[in-house]
Amino acid sequence: MNCNNSGKTYMVTLEGTRQMNLDKIIILLKQGKHIREDCVYSLCIQAQELLMNESNVTHVDTPVTICGDIHGQLHDLLTLFEKSGGVEKSRYIFLGDFVDRGFYSLESFLLLLCYKLRYPDRITLIRGNHETRQITKVYGFYDEIMRKYGNSNVWRYCCEVFDYLSLGAIINERVFCIHGGLSPDITTIDEIRSIDRKQEVPHEGAMCDLLWSDPDEVDTWSLSPRGAGFLFGKGEVDQFLQTNNIELIARAHQLVMEGYKEMFDGGLVTVWSAPNYCYRCGNVAAVLTIDGQLERSYTIFDAVQSQNGMGHTIIPTKKPQMDYFL
Amino acid sequence: MEKVVQQTDYDALSCRLAAISKGYLPSVAFQVQRCNYHGYKEMHMEYLHSLKSVSRRIHSKIFRAMQNSFPVMNYGTYLRTVSIDIQINDFLKSHSKFQNVQIINLGCGSDLRMIPIIKNFTNVTYIDIDYKDSIEMKRKILDQNRALKKALESDDDGETNRYKLISCDLNDEAQTVRTLSESTSSDSPTIVISECVLCYMDDHASKQLISVVLDIYKTGIWISYDPIGGSKFSDRFGIIMQSNLRESRHLEMPTLMIYNSKETYSSRFANCNVEIKDMWDIFENDIPKEEISRLKSLQFLDEVEELKIMQTHYVLLKASW
Repeated sequence: MNCNNSGKTYMVTLEGTRQMNLDKIIILLKQGKHIREDCVYSLCIQAQELLMNESNVTHVDTPVTICGDIHGQLHDLLTLFEKSGGVEKSRYIFLGDFVDRGFYSLESFLLLLCYKLRYPDRITLIRGNHETRQITKVYGFYDEIMRKYGNSNVWRYCCEVFDYLSLGAIINERVFCIHGGLSPDITTIDEIRSIDRKQEVPHEGAMCDLLWSDPDEVDTWSLSPRGAGFLFGKGEVDQFLQTNNIELIARAHQLVMEGYKEMFDGGLVTVWSAPNYCYRCGNVAAVLTIDGQLERSYTIFDAVQSQNGMGHTIIPTKKPQMDYFL
Repeated sequence: MEKVVQQTDYDALSCRLAAISKGYLPSVAFQVQRCNYHGYKEMHMEYLHSLKSVSRRIHSKIFRAMQNSFPVMNYGTYLRTVSIDIQINDFLKSHSKFQNVQIINLGCGSDLRMIPIIKNFTNVTYIDIDYKDSIEMKRKILDQNRALKKALESDDDGETNRYKLISCDLNDEAQTVRTLSESTSSDSPTIVISECVLCYMDDHASKQLISVVLDIYKTGIWISYDPIGGSKFSDRFGIIMQSNLRESRHLEMPTLMIYNSKETYSSRFANCNVEIKDMWDIFENDIPKEEISRLKSLQFLDEVEELKIMQTHYVLLKASW
């Protein structure tokens, strides 16, 4: 497998060389460098093999750091790892929405995939509502791939990986992690285990709701302004916590200006990990670390500057279209 | 700076075309039924078509931009467009007995509102004002396109043309006074529109423009749509917007952080009766449920919080005097 673009060839023969190769790709990705199409293909195939064996709801041990939406903000993802120990030392759960909106969806997603392949027990990837063919066609990932490769192959490889991502995780049997929220069709976590997840996210039903729903001050299940999923309130959360004997639902999916927001007497938390979302929202980001005693601690971080100290642009600001009303 | 400001019209046009292509506009409830706009999509397609023969470069820029617009932008374009249409329409309906009502669209760019309005209200004189280059481009397009030209031609009875395209640098006080005095009537009830215009002017020039206009016309309303920077201590939207626009296209918004709230923005029209809402207020309170569910059916709206952040930083003001 020839995976870099500097002319050297790395062959995957033994586990050792595979790891060395992954480490090299990781370095390239961190620099935002181009990864060859056949290399992306190979990574995606390996990732599918690995993810295929994970259950819909993965068991994870403490201590672990829970991370919310990333949305292609590669430089902020690197900050996230820096501020929270790094995958070499700490365990992570990513709650989905790796791609779309930011300029580096591919690099962000591949970096997480490489970490998953390199340190399978230290990183859990959960599917977000953006990890679908339909949404990535609207929200930027597809266009990014067309821009970077001139064809949609890489997008297709990635979408096939999306289909294998877990739907949720459970930490020490006490903290339930999901991208969006609850579903009126799901009472117990066991019911999630019986979903056939290896497909494009449907427009309705349990799998859709888990990825799309939002908590809100509502008395019961209500229509979501997003056009998919539901709004659910304290009643639904309390019921779910009690039925499943858990103490917290950790989810992402909604921008929170302060990076995180606890609701319903601390029974649910939203974690948001894309600072200055879309390079214009002005929010900070957070990750949540759950320790051995299930104590919560939040790490807040801000966006990287669009230029480094030398005045070099690291985030392209010359967008094809400016997202303001002018 | 003049060029950079002119180019913002391409953004406005491509946003409108994107909203049209996805079905956000025209709104049947607001634009067709309430404002009696017809052929909305067609007139925009005609305009885009003729733009191609006037400038391939601008056409391809706009065409590219309209291909990848996010739902959050389409919602904002929808809100901006229909809420201004409604304000204009309500005023015109309540002034149908006047022999002449005039609309002065400051920094008109490629706006095509004049077409349905001139047709619907025979007592309206419509004056589009912008920089020379913008006016020349618009004039060429409207001249070239038979359908659009016909829609704007004099009435059958041979009355003088009720549509005027006039070039003027609104930063130049003397030129503005001269232009407005020559081409408009100071006695007629007047609608002044400034849609993302004041935000590009420096404080002094925008104050002068407002006072010149309010001095010339005896009675009227001023409809103004602009971004506001935000006044809360933790609100960084405006600062980030200024630096993003400066870095990416050298576009300045000199008063974004001066008139950073509904209150401070309204203070520019101190002697008028002012109503002001931010666009999120309008989305939450003024758009009926059926219309909201129609919008929802067009595209998945990924991020409601993001829409809220954007729309709380744009205002629609109506100042009456």
